[in-house]
Amino acid sequence: MTRNADMEQVAGDFYAENFAKDASEGSLILNLGPQHPSTHGVLRVLVELDGEYVLRAEPVIGYLHRMHEKMAEVKTAAQYIPNMGRVDYGHAIAWNWAFVGAVERLAGIEVPPRAEYVRVITCELNRIASHLLWWGAYLLDLGAFTPIMYAFDDREKILDILQSPTGARLTFSYFRIGGVARDLDEDCVKAIREFIPWMRSRLPMYKEFVSDNIILRRRIEGVGVFEPDLCRRYGATGPVSRGSGLAYDVRRDEPYSVYPKLDFVVPTSDLMDARGRYDVRMEEMAQSLNIIESCLDQMPEGDTLVKGAPKPSWKVPKGETYFAVEGGRGKIGVHLVSDGGKNMYRVKLRSPSYSNLSLFAEASRGTLLADAVAILGSLDLIIPEIDR
Amino acid sequence: MAELKNLFDGLSLDYLAACDYAKTGQSLLAFVPAGTLVAAAKRLLADGWHLEDIGALDCVEGYVVSYHFAHYERPGRVTVRALAAHDKPELPSIAGVYGGAEWHEREVRDFHGVVFAGNPNFVPLLLDPDMAECFPLRKDEKTRMKAREILEAGEALFVRPSFTLMTPDAPAGGDAAAAKA
Repeated sequence: MTRNADMEQVAGDFYAENFAKDASEGSLILNLGPQHPSTHGVLRVLVELDGEYVLRAEPVIGYLHRMHEKMAEVKTAAQYIPNMGRVDYGHAIAWNWAFVGAVERLAGIEVPPRAEYVRVITCELNRIASHLLWWGAYLLDLGAFTPIMYAFDDREKILDILQSPTGARLTFSYFRIGGVARDLDEDCVKAIREFIPWMRSRLPMYKEFVSDNIILRRRIEGVGVFEPDLCRRYGATGPVSRGSGLAYDVRRDEPYSVYPKLDFVVPTSDLMDARGRYDVRMEEMAQSLNIIESCLDQMPEGDTLVKGAPKPSWKVPKGETYFAVEGGRGKIGVHLVSDGGKNMYRVKLRSPSYSNLSLFAEASRGTLLADAVAILGSLDLIIPEIDR
Repeated sequence: MAELKNLFDGLSLDYLAACDYAKTGQSLLAFVPAGTLVAAAKRLLADGWHLEDIGALDCVEGYVVSYHFAHYERPGRVTVRALAAHDKPELPSIAGVYGGAEWHEREVRDFHGVVFAGNPNFVPLLLDPDMAECFPLRKDEKTRMKAREILEAGEALFVRPSFTLMTPDAPAGGDAAAAKA
């Protein structure tokens, strides 16, 4: 639908009509998506334009809504893990962790030390893969075609590594209540050891050829400035809030697993713009490599699944708990309520992309349309994670 | 913690409790009457807390709507809860304080049918507008549990005498009216 908003009849669906009723005279209402290439999937954004400037914007979501929270009511805890691999295809292992972590916290299950390290290693590898996916796709949005070829080359190496313990390449269902499904074997550890220097050699190249590129700099510097107060009102987390100078990382601030034993820096940027968020993610990849390396050095031998780990029919004890982990896009939270029955009473999923996108309506006001696309991409959106 | 428990000083509360963070993932739990919600949100924002999410839970006594807050600089999680009655589930919107609440409230309406008065754009969010009246997470009367049986009570710091939702030794088998009496 592309019509003059002051025309009497506005063609379009419920959301277009709802949006158009507040339109000012002479403005143009435009749908970005749900099939627009820069929306990576099925995000739709309604924008009201005055020439090239955005007067108002409203994301329309739900096209990939699968009602994972309802599915929790008809599954046992163990049966629900595959759902978690499908909420966010970018960083599926973090969602595995958020859910099993909530169950373990509620049931008081201790995870064997080796499993904790295996969890951190696979989660951080998956985080690098997630950031690489964002990096390639974001540059594609901004008109740079080649970087995604390099990003996918690196990402393939990670997926090859993760394939051996997890049996999957994208929608991982690798964690179990009380540990992980399979240990990392010798070949896998060797492949990870080889990957670390490889990736370290790539990052300076990316900085030199891409991050410092003048065209990229002009597209993202000073674009989409998010003040810390904006982040706070919308609950932005992850690289979005860290790019606004807020040094908040669940791995550091609500520590879980063995993260307190690991030496890593929480990168932040005071730029607050798309550049700041870009820089934070690029530095996080280097930090994840450090985390993986120290995990490989510290990892003890032993079991990767607790003895007497819950069977598929196991019932979560009665009670409630909230557990959060740091995903590629920010804080993933699971609020789990159990009545002690076969299935869970309520699972509430907190998705970081959802909160991060919700600030877009306010942040995009008054920007150029082309900048609005650059802001959307800088949020690193994974649509199925928003819609759940 | 000494500071945290004074967070809502001067506001009209129903229930205030300290929780074991390591076990429940929550540090402070407050049940507030609907009329206090906006004031509590303002207090939290002024103190630097950000909104994590809003979710409802269908219990015997009504819909328990939970607002989770965390802080960028301090550890801990504050849970604010309000009860919306089954027959007329309505609460005031906090979207005027926390802009991010707009979407969370619309989602709660989609799933549980709780109405948030004052939400600036109260249309379906995740569900198709044509089937947005199905409220998929509502439970039938048989499967509803009492709030006190499944929710964390914590270590009570303050309980309004008329508030019995979380009181563990309250007589079992009462309905919503009896619980409130």
